[in-house]
Amino acid sequence: MADKLKALWRKTFWAWSPESERESSEAIVRNFWLHWFPAKVARASMDWNYSFWLGTASAALLLILTVTGVMLMFFYVPSTERAYGSIKDLEYAVSFGRLLRNQHRWAAEGMVAVVYIHMARVFFTGAYRGTRAINWVVGVVLFLSTLFLSFTGYLLPWDQLAFWAITVGTSIAKQAPLVGPTVQFILLGGHEIGQQTLLRFYVLHVFFLPVFVWVLFGYHMWRVRKDGGLAAIERVRDARTMIPKTTPASKSYSLFGITPGTSVQVMSSTGLEESDQVFSSPNMSRRIALVFLVVFNITLLAALLFNAPLEGLANPSVTPNPAKAPWYFVWLQELVASTTVRIGGFTVSGALLGGILLPGFLLGVLTLWPWLDRSPLRTQGRWLAPERKRQNVTFAVATLLIIVLIMVGVYLRGPYWRIYWPGQARPETPRLY
Amino acid sequence: MDGDRRKVLRLIGKGSVLAAFLAQIGAAGRAFFPNVLYEPPSRFKIKRPDDYPDGYTLDAAHRLYVVRQKDAFHVISAVCTHLGCNVQWSDTEFDCPCHGSRFRPDGTVISGPAPRPLEWFATSVSPDGFLEVDSGTEVARGFRLIAGKGNA
Repeated sequence: MADKLKALWRKTFWAWSPESERESSEAIVRNFWLHWFPAKVARASMDWNYSFWLGTASAALLLILTVTGVMLMFFYVPSTERAYGSIKDLEYAVSFGRLLRNQHRWAAEGMVAVVYIHMARVFFTGAYRGTRAINWVVGVVLFLSTLFLSFTGYLLPWDQLAFWAITVGTSIAKQAPLVGPTVQFILLGGHEIGQQTLLRFYVLHVFFLPVFVWVLFGYHMWRVRKDGGLAAIERVRDARTMIPKTTPASKSYSLFGITPGTSVQVMSSTGLEESDQVFSSPNMSRRIALVFLVVFNITLLAALLFNAPLEGLANPSVTPNPAKAPWYFVWLQELVASTTVRIGGFTVSGALLGGILLPGFLLGVLTLWPWLDRSPLRTQGRWLAPERKRQNVTFAVATLLIIVLIMVGVYLRGPYWRIYWPGQARPETPRLY
Repeated sequence: MDGDRRKVLRLIGKGSVLAAFLAQIGAAGRAFFPNVLYEPPSRFKIKRPDDYPDGYTLDAAHRLYVVRQKDAFHVISAVCTHLGCNVQWSDTEFDCPCHGSRFRPDGTVISGPAPRPLEWFATSVSPDGFLEVDSGTEVARGFRLIAGKGNA
């Protein structure tokens, strides 16, 4: 029955169907929707347990964020007087406005997490060797852009979180050597936070950063293809090239054969065999659609269950106590709060050390890691290769430290940024908004 | 010879177009440095001296504390020198809610990440009898303005 329906569908909508491998490839590369896929992809690239499809999930989140973001733009007014009200309107006066904002918010926080976990996957599989090093650097820039996008995003509601995040964020920028004060002046559009500041962050958030990320995402994908697919295929390629092939016996001397009895051996340019690859459509396109739907539904579920936070209207006279950054920046807040160094009469502010130098150093090491990695090339595309144990432990420990700092910041810090253990009474502080 | 002249003219031609293009980019960049700022003046009047009781009074709008000890006044900034949050007076010290800096009553640092003491602002009495603060001018700790009619 299903087969008959399928046949009917074909007869009704297709005047032609591919009848050879070559025609199947053409059907993909000549199709508008499919031409950005390669005709064939390695089975190894699509292994769920290798990549967990985290890159695709990040892209799905980016798409969700772009669409929900554009819809939010119809309701949001980037004015210090009306921004907060327009968010309140979204929550109470616009049909499904709250759902839209919730999904945008949770997709954004999800993207920060997923992009980081994607990067961790690439690290733990050593998938940044050779020409893939460039894509690693592109990925680091994309991760940084994701953080900037989320930062500029949570400033827009113009609530207390927004105002004090801009205050602290631009004060950190001011600490940068030489250019700091100029950077702060341009970001704020003056010496104080005001209308210019909001408008600048708004244009950054809805235009410059998304366009930058989309273009870089395109390049990221293009490079994945030009680098031959995911690093997982290197395992297959190694296996294929290491197995000596039975060469066809020949009775005559061939042009290439040096000794009698051997003939030319043909290998594909990718080093993969036909059986290692499958057509990208429907094999990959269907999986991408599945990943997108799963990610979409998770963000939708989160949006239905949890409301996006909104604090009181921005008030320059009162700092919330304690004033906490969103979870993915809390570890930086911990760093700037605890890295001020005093040697004699000389003081280095934590804003410079923990806000700029230390994160800058971490970022530099992260970016240059492909060139610091001296492990044998056969480790690439393998999960937790024993030869890279020390590297993997380093990355895991650094991640763990960041998570510990986040936990301390989120759960233990109380009024005046002091540590309060679970169960310990926290003093009532005046909350005046 | 003829070819050389052509080369030079071509260089001038292409160069000028490129220069104009770069200048336009520079001009667009320059627009991001505002020439006119609609910001409150750094020198402003607050209340009359006798409107302040003894001790520390917060002026939240201007983000500063007015300190009165009998007839002697001084004004301490409420903006943390670390990353710009508002510090709060707790009868014995100033505390910052953002990163936990603590300051003595005179604004010097007890502990926490703040690199410098809280600023002291130049303060005077305006001709019409109001305290006038110049938040653009710092004064040494120990500065006192004698004002007010008797002890509060």
